[in-house]
Amino acid sequence: GERLGAMQPPAASPGPAAPAGAELLRWQWREVQGPCLVAAWILVASLAKIVFHLSRKVTSIVPESCLLILLGLGLGGIVLAVAKKAEYQLEPNMFFLFLLPPIVLDSGYFMPSRLFFDNIGAILTYAVVGTLWNSFTTGAALWGLHRAGLMADPGVEAGLMDFLLFGSLISAVDPVAVLAVFEEVHVNETLFIIVFGESLLNDAVTVVLYKVFNSFVELGPAHIHATDYVKGVASFFLVSLGGTAVGLLFAFLLALITRFTKRVRIIEPLFVFLLAYIAYLAAEMVSLSSILAVTFCGICCKKYVEANISQKSRTTVKYTMKTLASSSETIIFMFLGISAVDTSKWAWDTALVLGTLFFILLFRAVGVVLQTCVLNRFRLIPLDRIDQVVMSYGGLRGAVAFALVILLDRAKVKAKDYFVATTIVVVFFTVIVQGLTIKPLVTWLKVKRSDHHKPTLNEELHEHAFDHILAAVEDIVGHHGYHYWRDKWEQFDKKYLSQLLMRKSAYRLRDEIWDVYYKLNIRDAISFVDQGGHVLSAAKLALPSMPSRTSMSESSVTNLLRESGSGACLDLQVIDTVRSRRDKEDAAMHHVLRGSLYKPRRRYKASYSRHFISPDKQERQDKEIFRQNMKRRLETFKSTKHNVCSSKSKARLKEKGRKKASAPQPPAPSLALSSEAPNGKTHRSVPWQEAAPVLVMVSSEEEESDSSETEKEDDEGIVFIARATDEVLQGKTTPGSLDVCPSPCIIPPSPTLAEKELPWKGDQADLAVYISSETTKIVPVDMQKAWNQSISSLESIASPPGIESGPQHRRFACPVLEEQPQSASQVMSEQSSCFQFPSHVSKSSRSQSDSSPDGAEQQELQPLMATEEQSKVPPTTEPRWLMFNRSSHL
Amino acid sequence: PSSPRSFPPTVTSEQIEHLHRRFKQLSRDQLTIRKENFDSIPDLEFNPIRGKIVHAFFDKRNLRQESDGLADEINFEDFLTIMSYFRPIEMNMDEEQLDRFRKEKLKFLFHMYDSDHDGKITLQEYRNVVEELLSGNPHLEKESARSIADGAMMEAASICVGQMGPDQVYEGITFEDFLKMWQGIDIETKMHVRFLNMETIAHCY
Repeated sequence: GERLGAMQPPAASPGPAAPAGAELLRWQWREVQGPCLVAAWILVASLAKIVFHLSRKVTSIVPESCLLILLGLGLGGIVLAVAKKAEYQLEPNMFFLFLLPPIVLDSGYFMPSRLFFDNIGAILTYAVVGTLWNSFTTGAALWGLHRAGLMADPGVEAGLMDFLLFGSLISAVDPVAVLAVFEEVHVNETLFIIVFGESLLNDAVTVVLYKVFNSFVELGPAHIHATDYVKGVASFFLVSLGGTAVGLLFAFLLALITRFTKRVRIIEPLFVFLLAYIAYLAAEMVSLSSILAVTFCGICCKKYVEANISQKSRTTVKYTMKTLASSSETIIFMFLGISAVDTSKWAWDTALVLGTLFFILLFRAVGVVLQTCVLNRFRLIPLDRIDQVVMSYGGLRGAVAFALVILLDRAKVKAKDYFVATTIVVVFFTVIVQGLTIKPLVTWLKVKRSDHHKPTLNEELHEHAFDHILAAVEDIVGHHGYHYWRDKWEQFDKKYLSQLLMRKSAYRLRDEIWDVYYKLNIRDAISFVDQGGHVLSAAKLALPSMPSRTSMSESSVTNLLRESGSGACLDLQVIDTVRSRRDKEDAAMHHVLRGSLYKPRRRYKASYSRHFISPDKQERQDKEIFRQNMKRRLETFKSTKHNVCSSKSKARLKEKGRKKASAPQPPAPSLALSSEAPNGKTHRSVPWQEAAPVLVMVSSEEEESDSSETEKEDDEGIVFIARATDEVLQGKTTPGSLDVCPSPCIIPPSPTLAEKELPWKGDQADLAVYISSETTKIVPVDMQKAWNQSISSLESIASPPGIESGPQHRRFACPVLEEQPQSASQVMSEQSSCFQFPSHVSKSSRSQSDSSPDGAEQQELQPLMATEEQSKVPPTTEPRWLMFNRSSHL
Repeated sequence: PSSPRSFPPTVTSEQIEHLHRRFKQLSRDQLTIRKENFDSIPDLEFNPIRGKIVHAFFDKRNLRQESDGLADEINFEDFLTIMSYFRPIEMNMDEEQLDRFRKEKLKFLFHMYDSDHDGKITLQEYRNVVEELLSGNPHLEKESARSIADGAMMEAASICVGQMGPDQVYEGITFEDFLKMWQGIDIETKMHVRFLNMETIAHCY
């Protein structure tokens, strides 16, 4: 939008002067011309991208930037042939005001900040010293070449200052080009961050050198005084530090603003773009380094902004930023190609072109080697020779140089045309030749690549441990080094900055380890759902005809889980005695259908709001399906929880409930179900789990603060915590009683009619010998945000009146399904304190769905239904814990 | 001070002198340092795992002594031994040296986690570590720490053992498992401290 607005012709002519009567239609090309052309160019570039990526072979060898430049050359040629003059070219103003900011913002915002600051010393050295070195040596060497009379063309009228000016603009490594090429090469992250960081930070040096030399050229060598040099040096500090300061200031403002956007979530992403852009313009306005401003704005605001804005806004920011940056990049490269066609601006001098190419490569390499030599004495991880080769070779030049050279004033810089031609050649050479060859080079040199393994929780934990250890060792040694200052900064950030810039709800839970844990959880949950989440595997039940999405993803975690969890289906375990195949199939089919079919349970009013996004129907269905899947997942989890098995998805479920081995009751503490297993396989002990019989106290303090916490609302999350108690199941548990029993969140599928009536039900007699109980409580502690977003419908479930004092507190309740109810009174007992439904209630409930003809015998509680029934739930004394219980009374 | 045998040659005598000065500072001119001496370092106070770190200095396993258990006090040589765990890699190290180097550093970390010296990081030990790591944030509950530790343990089990049989029990992370988990991660780049510019040594007293 911003670009379009700016492109609009300022004074569109108001149409034909003397309208001859009324017009039906009018051709208004002039009015829409500007925006229309821009849109058309973007469209062409984007379509071209699609075409490039049709062939994977081509894009894996040739970087996209090369292809775009070539495309631009072609298009430019066509335009030239048709219009007889070059119509379009990369306008410096458009480039600096509209095309560059998105790219810089994108790279700043998504910069791996830890890596960046870990290497800041090297990056700064290369950016400042390296760029200075390149500028001066290249400029001086070209001047020498000129003096030696090697530049044959008499048109090259240039003195030392002109060459230094040219050197300053040609020597800066270009962020756009570097990013475009290096993103496809995948070198190791240290190498990448050094080259890329350098290309971003050298902007200040380039800007200053360019301006200083430009003014020197204008003044003429005779009028330059010593004070001008001093001013030049001073302006470097001013421009770079000032640009950084502007960036920091806007980052601060941005973070502060997003702290208060809770009620206007829909425009949250806008603030990010607006403030960053204003930072860019502000820096530009006072001629500070605008690239530095946006880079630092992006780097510094990210932590706080991400914590403040909602998950959806985060996604929006990410995608919008990537889209903008990528289309800017596309346009830039395409227009570079188009601009090159315009030969009227060219003036060719072979010696100048070849000399420049040679010198920039040579001095870049020399500069890198010299600086690395010095740096390696201070770096803990030295940069080896291979790194240096890649760094030298990766010094690509790009559109910044081109835009700067176009900006030169021909009246002052007489050799401008020669410089333009040379710059174009240099840019094309670096982007195309070096861009094409850097990948094979990296492969050939065996440069350490980045390994894109997924983050693991252990890694994160160890890294934090390392940080603390290193800080401590520096403290002990008394050396105030990098770790010391990082540690200090983190303390400061935690104490003051974060508190100021983050929402309270976000700040409270702000912890990197927790974040990783949380993300992994979400990832697993999503991948689980993606696979359809069928726990009752069709294959396992030997029902070949069963349609199952899961079959597609054989390598999935869930599959592992399914395969390894021998007892994945509880109900079959119970009755794994004699059973006809047919019965089995029937039962299995019943369960599968019951579990997998989506049954909408709630009606929503259609609504429209421009300012709030209400969950649409699809989303609701997703949620319900997700919930069902989670439910099933919990089942599996339960049944296999006694062994640590390889499944990560299981692992993620925080499982706390353990039955105590030392149950006071004579009947063994094992589940009633397991007692039937011939070799006790279902009851496996895992020492480390036993070590911690779990107690779950939601500290009341926490609850209180929760309820007083006004910001909570939709950033609330859920933690599953289960507590095991052993209580004997009395023959009769009254509906209101709190002795809640049973196993953790297991929801065995409801038995079919056949299951109940078939002869082997007689087994119950044996089972009944054992009375085991286990209470599981699922208490929401504070796993924030996304849980809540993905399962937010759960929140409404079953908060007993007792909790209503803390309305924001989310609860998660698993639907309870009892195994083999025998009487109506027992049915009651099955429900947790939260779920006590007198039988008439359950009968009347509309979600009552199951196969059981007598609702009293069987009950399946659907979470959503529970909500509706909430008001009828009698208050209990300890409601806050007992979210879920299941008793098997056998 | 006498140059200790265990200390790598790459540390200059100058650095050792600096360390010795610091050692004397900490020990208040005694020959040995006791645990209490570490209390006087103000910056250490906010370190969430400070207990574990100080403990590591007195852990006999880290001191390369035959015996097991905790030392009451350490002399300068021991101090240097501990410090040597944090030395950076050299350019000229060969593969084997690097490997040994890596193992040494990991061993140090492992010993920190394995507080009961049984060669295994059990769940309980892991939980303790995580709890301490998270203790900096008063808003995160112990429960969260536990669930994180549980998750990490499950993850470790899945990395180290792969798919487990139904009867299999994962008792804890052994050092071999620990190495496995660290595969592919550059520990060399993470666990070292620069002792070079000792001029900046802070004078705490």
